[in-house]
Amino acid sequence: MTSDTPFDAVIVGAGVAGALIAKQLTGAGLRVLLLEAGPGTSQSFNGYSRHLQQFYGATSKSAESPWPPAAAAPQPDSSDLRNNNGYFVQRGPDLYGSTYTRTWGGSTLHWLGVSLRMLPEDFRMHSRHGVGRDWPLGYNDLAPFYARAEHELGVSADVADQRYHGVSFAEDYDYPMQRVPLSYSDRVLGAAVDGMTVWFDHESFDLKVRSYPAARNSIPRGAYQPVGAVDLHDDGSSNPPLLGGRCQGNTSCTPICPVQAKYNAGKSLAQADRRYLTMLVQAVASKILVDPANGGVQGIEYKRYQDPASTRFTTAVAKGRVYILTAHAVENARLMLASGLTGPRGQVGQTLMDHPALYAWGLAPLAIGAFRGPQSSAGIEDLRGGAFRARHAAFRFDIGNDGWRSTTGAPDSTVSEAVMSQRLFGTALRDQLANLLSRQVRMSLAIEQLPDPANAVTVDPQYLDALGNPRPVISYHIDDYTKAGMVAASGVARALFRRAGVQDFSESGNGSWFPSVYYQGREFHYHGMGHFSGTHAMGDDPQQSVIDPDQRAWQHHNLFLAGSGSFPTMGTSNPTLTLAALALRTADHLVATLQQ
Amino acid sequence: MSQLEPFLAFSAEVTAFPIVELQGTGQAESYLQTVEDIVGTQRLDRLLVLYQSLPLATREDIRQARADRLRRDIFGSDELGPIARNIIKLWYSGTWYELPSAWTEAYGPAPQDVTFVVAPSSYVEGLLWTAIGAHPAGAKAPGYASWQWPPHIPPFAGDPAATPR
Ligand SMILES: Cc1cc2nc3c(=O)[nH]c(=O)nc-3n(C[C@H](O)[C@H](O)[C@H](O)COP(=O)(O)OP(=O)(O)OC[C@H]3O[C@@H](n4cnc5c(N)ncnc54)[C@H](O)[C@@H]3O)c2cc1C
Ligand code: SF4
Repeated sequence: MTSDTPFDAVIVGAGVAGALIAKQLTGAGLRVLLLEAGPGTSQSFNGYSRHLQQFYGATSKSAESPWPPAAAAPQPDSSDLRNNNGYFVQRGPDLYGSTYTRTWGGSTLHWLGVSLRMLPEDFRMHSRHGVGRDWPLGYNDLAPFYARAEHELGVSADVADQRYHGVSFAEDYDYPMQRVPLSYSDRVLGAAVDGMTVWFDHESFDLKVRSYPAARNSIPRGAYQPVGAVDLHDDGSSNPPLLGGRCQGNTSCTPICPVQAKYNAGKSLAQADRRYLTMLVQAVASKILVDPANGGVQGIEYKRYQDPASTRFTTAVAKGRVYILTAHAVENARLMLASGLTGPRGQVGQTLMDHPALYAWGLAPLAIGAFRGPQSSAGIEDLRGGAFRARHAAFRFDIGNDGWRSTTGAPDSTVSEAVMSQRLFGTALRDQLANLLSRQVRMSLAIEQLPDPANAVTVDPQYLDALGNPRPVISYHIDDYTKAGMVAASGVARALFRRAGVQDFSESGNGSWFPSVYYQGREFHYHGMGHFSGTHAMGDDPQQSVIDPDQRAWQHHNLFLAGSGSFPTMGTSNPTLTLAALALRTADHLVATLQQ
Repeated sequence: MSQLEPFLAFSAEVTAFPIVELQGTGQAESYLQTVEDIVGTQRLDRLLVLYQSLPLATREDIRQARADRLRRDIFGSDELGPIARNIIKLWYSGTWYELPSAWTEAYGPAPQDVTFVVAPSSYVEGLLWTAIGAHPAGAKAPGYASWQWPPHIPPFAGDPAATPR
């Protein structure tokens, strides 16, 4: 074993949380060592383009298809779910359907870019609705960091659209870029749906098809400079972006934005001060070394491999004044547990959450132009909050622009069906495809899930990856609170389609395979949203939580765990903007303490 | 003799895209090669010879007769039908799909017959995107804000829907 020179901070994981903290710390002149488990192929524009070619050539155009893992840093893959034979060891009873990417840039390489703030009431689920638990921070504490995160990620939206359910903004604030234009399909649906009223008991809600804040470059406001494609070289030099200054409508935000108009963590890393940043790729953190006397971290052991196809490695130890885990909600917990660090009352890894989501899909009465524009540009946010949350989960709808791609495998499946089953060819075929594909509508109904200690990431020495690191073992179940939310959400979707004249195919049995849960005699097919959270939750009470509001581990004074693992509850918003706001807040704290 | 010409003629009729557009994809040679490699040159020859023997559609009644023969002799053939359908799918999505198992049992084995994208560029050049007034996901981006307008679905010769949309 060798020992590296000390740094001010050792950061584990070059995803969005790690990138934002690295940028802030190096910007303050603090010396950072960043360990990244995956290859650094997405750093250069050429390398990134090879991932794009990989996507073009892939038979399955899944979220993971452009980003195959290195042998030494495996990752979950949605195609492994059905046979439950992937990186995760799933103990059930339900399957955890989400994935992430272990490559430089992390899961933002394939995220969709939805960048909603949490609602004020989401931070107070226990006091307000008697379920879940409260955050130690409130909306107002995070609001300034949300604003900063919106600038770091480059979020496009108009404040005028985003004031609902108590979400508020500073008086002179607006997003750095104008909202991404709504798609034609959003406008057609909106014309039919806006003003539709939904009742839950005595509470009514008026629905509206609303543009959502997206981390995709659009028309900048004021002096804001959109950040485009990353092109870093091994010698530390970089080229200015030639592409990606504005979304061009490639309709593949997930799994890969060809021009990088969509945010990925590489953009923040490209802005870090390279004089203070040492970056090691293909370096898998494997153990946190702790002083048994006081719990202080003494170093992080990591395994370095030369060849992404091989599992040969050498071991070294990274040392710094503080250590920050930003390896993703599951990997942070896995690394802690692999090091024997289970946290207060063994809470590390517990209360794993996601947004189990249902699809609703159908055929619009006219050509709405599916398969164009960002994969989605609007949602329905009106049912994210309300008194009903005492009884069942809240939810939001994402309204797709990519037809039945995720529900049935369209457009290819539509072509196959027309050619193979309907035996069409020639003009009849072409006419049928134009007619069907351009009318396909899809919504994702993402349902809130509450923290439950039984839903957990654990490790088991029986199950190791190729480097000998323990694989995540996942226990997961979807409770009645969430299932009752599924009932409510699917009812609203059905009514919405009826009102818009959309022929509903959700129950037609023509969907791809997804895991199911049962409730009140009904079967619900659900999919994961990639919204892992809760695995190292923050709190005020050192007994009831793993980290404090600065994301510092209660039991280890120089160890921080950042990311959506820190969320006590997750509401209905996609997690990344909130985890980015928390990362900036932690970075401020670190700069203030480390500069002393 | 090169089979490219009859292959293109057949492809144009069964995809409802004119030969110039097929050639414009730059994929014709590699698709022809793919079919030949998988099902064999002789079998493809037979399909194309049969195709060339169809009555020329100069009059309305003959047009019908030609369509019937195409449907019966080629698409209706246990041996040639699956190949013809695969050629359509090749052009529309750039993917060769594994032939039905009944075909392989009767006429196989065809060792290279697995589902695959012929080349990254064949995905990008799939005709289905043009047919629906869209663009392949991840390529040929139509430009900022283009998605806010109704789709433009290009009219085509023989379009059964008389009114352009
Ligand atoms: C298909 C999909 C769509 C999504 N869409 C959205 C969306 O629209 N909006 C939204 O808010 N969120 C979305 N998400 C979730 C979003 O991707 C995550 O919330 C976010 O990327 C998490 O950031 P992170 O930095 O915590 O982790 P990651 O982005 O996963 O980064 C972690 C990094 O750590 C590295 N690492 C892991 N283990 C180790 C180790 N042992 N040693 C060293 N390095 C390690 C990884 O390689 C990776 O680079 C989506 C997710 C998926 C899967
Ligand atoms: S629509 Fe296209 S250009 Fe825009 S962010 Fe998504 S992938 Fe990138």
